[in-house]
Amino acid sequence: MRRLIFGRLAQLPLILLVIYTITLALAWAVPGNPLENPEGRQPPAAVVEAMKRQYNLDSFPRFYFSYLTSATGIDYASDLVSGRLAEQREQAEAAGVAAPPRYIFDLGPSLKYEDWRVNEIVAGALPVSIVLGFAAILIALVVGLLAGVIGAVKPNSAADIATLVIALIGISLPSFVVGMLLLIVFAVSFSFFPVGGWGKPSQMVLPAVTLSLPFAAYIARLTRMGMIEALGADYIRTARAKGLAENTVLFKHALKNAFLPVLSYLGPATAFAMTGSFVVEKVFNVPGLGQHFINGVLNKDLFLIMGVVLIFATLLVLFNLIVDVLYRWVDPRIS
Amino acid sequence: MVKLLLPVLLLALGIGVTVATDRPDPPADFTFVNRGDVSTLDPQRMSWMQDLRIARLLYEPLVRLDVLHENYEVIPGVAERWEVSDDQTVYTFYLRDDAKWSNGEPITAHQFVYSWRRALLPETASDYAKLFQSIKGSGDFFEWRSAQTQAYADRVADLSPAERREEVERMWDEAMAYFDANVGLKALDDRTLRIELKAPTPYWLDLCAFAVFSPVYEPLVSQYERLSPETGQIKIEFGWTKPPLTVTNGPFVLERWRFKRGLYLRANEHWWDRDSLDIETIAIPSIEDPNAAVLAFETGAVQWVSDLTADYRVAMLRKKLAFYEEHADEVERLKAQGLDQFAIAAALPDDPRKNVHAVDNFATYWYNFNCLPTLTDGRPNPFHDARVRRAFAMVIDKKTIVDEVNRVGQPVANTIIPRGSIAGYTSPAGLECVSDFEGDPEGLEAHLARARALLVEAGYESPSDLPVIELLFNKDSGHDLIAQQIARDWQKYLGVQTSLSQKEVGVFRNDLKNANYMTSRAGWYADYADPTTFLDLNRTGDGNNDRKYSNPAYDALLDEAKFELDPAKRMALLTEAERIIMEDDLPMVPIFHYVSLYLFDPDVVTGLNNHPRANQDIYLIDVLGDGKGRDQVKRIRREGEPRPGSTN
Repeated sequence: MRRLIFGRLAQLPLILLVIYTITLALAWAVPGNPLENPEGRQPPAAVVEAMKRQYNLDSFPRFYFSYLTSATGIDYASDLVSGRLAEQREQAEAAGVAAPPRYIFDLGPSLKYEDWRVNEIVAGALPVSIVLGFAAILIALVVGLLAGVIGAVKPNSAADIATLVIALIGISLPSFVVGMLLLIVFAVSFSFFPVGGWGKPSQMVLPAVTLSLPFAAYIARLTRMGMIEALGADYIRTARAKGLAENTVLFKHALKNAFLPVLSYLGPATAFAMTGSFVVEKVFNVPGLGQHFINGVLNKDLFLIMGVVLIFATLLVLFNLIVDVLYRWVDPRIS
Repeated sequence: MVKLLLPVLLLALGIGVTVATDRPDPPADFTFVNRGDVSTLDPQRMSWMQDLRIARLLYEPLVRLDVLHENYEVIPGVAERWEVSDDQTVYTFYLRDDAKWSNGEPITAHQFVYSWRRALLPETASDYAKLFQSIKGSGDFFEWRSAQTQAYADRVADLSPAERREEVERMWDEAMAYFDANVGLKALDDRTLRIELKAPTPYWLDLCAFAVFSPVYEPLVSQYERLSPETGQIKIEFGWTKPPLTVTNGPFVLERWRFKRGLYLRANEHWWDRDSLDIETIAIPSIEDPNAAVLAFETGAVQWVSDLTADYRVAMLRKKLAFYEEHADEVERLKAQGLDQFAIAAALPDDPRKNVHAVDNFATYWYNFNCLPTLTDGRPNPFHDARVRRAFAMVIDKKTIVDEVNRVGQPVANTIIPRGSIAGYTSPAGLECVSDFEGDPEGLEAHLARARALLVEAGYESPSDLPVIELLFNKDSGHDLIAQQIARDWQKYLGVQTSLSQKEVGVFRNDLKNANYMTSRAGWYADYADPTTFLDLNRTGDGNNDRKYSNPAYDALLDEAKFELDPAKRMALLTEAERIIMEDDLPMVPIFHYVSLYLFDPDVVTGLNNHPRANQDIYLIDVLGDGKGRDQVKRIRREGEPRPGSTN
């Protein structure tokens, strides 16, 4: 187990470096100039050139390495050693104002939202995405597992078909439709929940439910398949023959095996729920991380693209690791 | 079983911890949805309307425009008075004694010099650097500094790190000495600012009221600038615009700004005109989805949606217009009483769409013609010939675009400057288009014959002599529908072949800049109350001249107007300049003037205006019946009426 964890963590920097290189090459090739406004007034050409130089946008290798030293903390360490950091603090103190914040792993400035550093953007959006993603997966787990078990106990019954149909709808309906429907019914007509925004628990219910639907549907199908297979197995017949209560058979013996595929799906699903919620974020006005993937590329905001991609890659690796660890713990046969 | 529950518990724990650490904003006295997310709150770097709107809350320039006055009269801001020399080139501003920053420190004239100099440094990348270049010597300073850092970039490789640091500091000192010696911007003492202009600029005070001309707090901002030994420029970091760091001088201070979540502002206790405020707090939630904005208004979460863009806005507005038509007599009677648009809306309680308001913008939607002799692929460009441009402009059915495609009541445009938006300026007649001949088939036939004759004159005997005409536009916002309509007109009336080219906005921008197009859509929200805010777009070599239009006679008129001291004569020169581009040369063909749809209850919110240049100063707003402030309806004042409620 320890070897697994350390081995994976040791791979992480290498994985990130490869992702960094590929993403930057692709993002660099996106047409458009992030320093120009798409519409409206344009700064003079000399200014655009000067800005390009400032951000190293005039040379791929320079950008590649300068971003790397900044994001890995090398820049911070060198400023710390050379005394530049202390100097900055003293200057600010002398002027009677707060010193500019510095980050160890500095992901750079956003080129579109000029007053924000990518670190700040991620720090604001990530907790929102974590809550939204976790809540959606939680709902999906509860709903999906229950629906799957019900379906598997009586295959082809009315209850089974109903859950299958609902699962099908959950997978096929785009979330902007579901989201708008929920909004109109529960927020506008009945005023159970606020129409959007983020911060209060009541504002989290509708987006989490909307986001959970496709995951719930998939989990229900995985569970149903696993349960049907498990319920036909010899050890279940033995368990029933022993005279165990049906609930014990279902939830303790059958579900334990049927849950394994669900568990391995949970890792990537959680990572996707946290970052792939662009539409839900838009409909419910949730300030999460998902929108920055899309907006970053649309605005060719290189620093933002790199920042969110690196964060997402790290999350994906970590969640898969957690799931693998859980997997072994749930099923010790796997090594 | 415990093992199965563990993932669930982990998830629940994660949620609990994060929710517990998130604190929502308290309710505010006034809540509104801005046009879009703020891009920057650094006044010298901003150019988006939504940024400028917030900047007018957070910062105060030397003077302000009174937007509740029918002519947007200039009133004192940080400067309590000013003097203008007889030749109108030297302005002396006297700062008021009680002008303070939000931390209580006094505002000095030196800080204005520092702030404006920032805008004039190429490394600041100010979108509006050009506006500051009315100041004597400032354009040269900009060029000089650009050349200085460019030369450094070329030789930096030969220098050792120690030499680099020394050299960039020497260059900076040299640049400051150059600035002090040559640029007409001086602080005579802490309270007196003297500005020498290159030429008389009748709209100079108007510029001084523009948010980009606001001061920034030097002790704070200078912490974020450092000389970069790699480029020789000042490397600017941002972030000082955010609370709790930020220090500002306007009616409100920024208490909280959370990315993509919203801003929260509170009245600035140190603002000299603090007593004039009728609200204490303003919340500006970030709501990007158009439907979400409408729902937020319907449920009372926000009081003003400043740019209603939901698809069904057309239906909402239609309903209102139908009601107004039905009650035309009543509307006329109210108009005759001198009520403005919002007061009339308040006086018609049965209007089912009483909260929807169409407000004119100081902005125009048009089509560009590429004026270069050849296209980027080397083919000859038919639109190099002004006669071809004129013919194409004549046959666009603008009224159909406005009435059938957009359907939000935008005024048809046949001049680039919205008519009546600038006091003292007379617009030229402009070119007629096909929709001007409604109900006059003979007139239309003659008009079309004239257009076709122009093509023949230009050497295109038959439409097939012309290449396929490409219309370039960016995705979204219905530009595709407008392009289809225009293409149809050109096919129908001129018999030419057309092709539509829809691109991502970044690519679109690149194509325009490199003149890699034949015709394209464009739009412009103008800045200050002078025709040059539009006319400079067509000056030879202007950075925003995407048409690459160049006419020495036109440039000469603009230059002549620059040195004309008599306002009436000057305006006449500018009218002639606009006539050239709107009747003869047509580098661009105006289609319509933009309209914004507001959503607010006129019985509750007062202080918004419907001036043709519709700038909203939100610190003027009063929410009626909230028990705070004066709770009196604010209306637009006519020329000569005194300003109530101010200590000034």
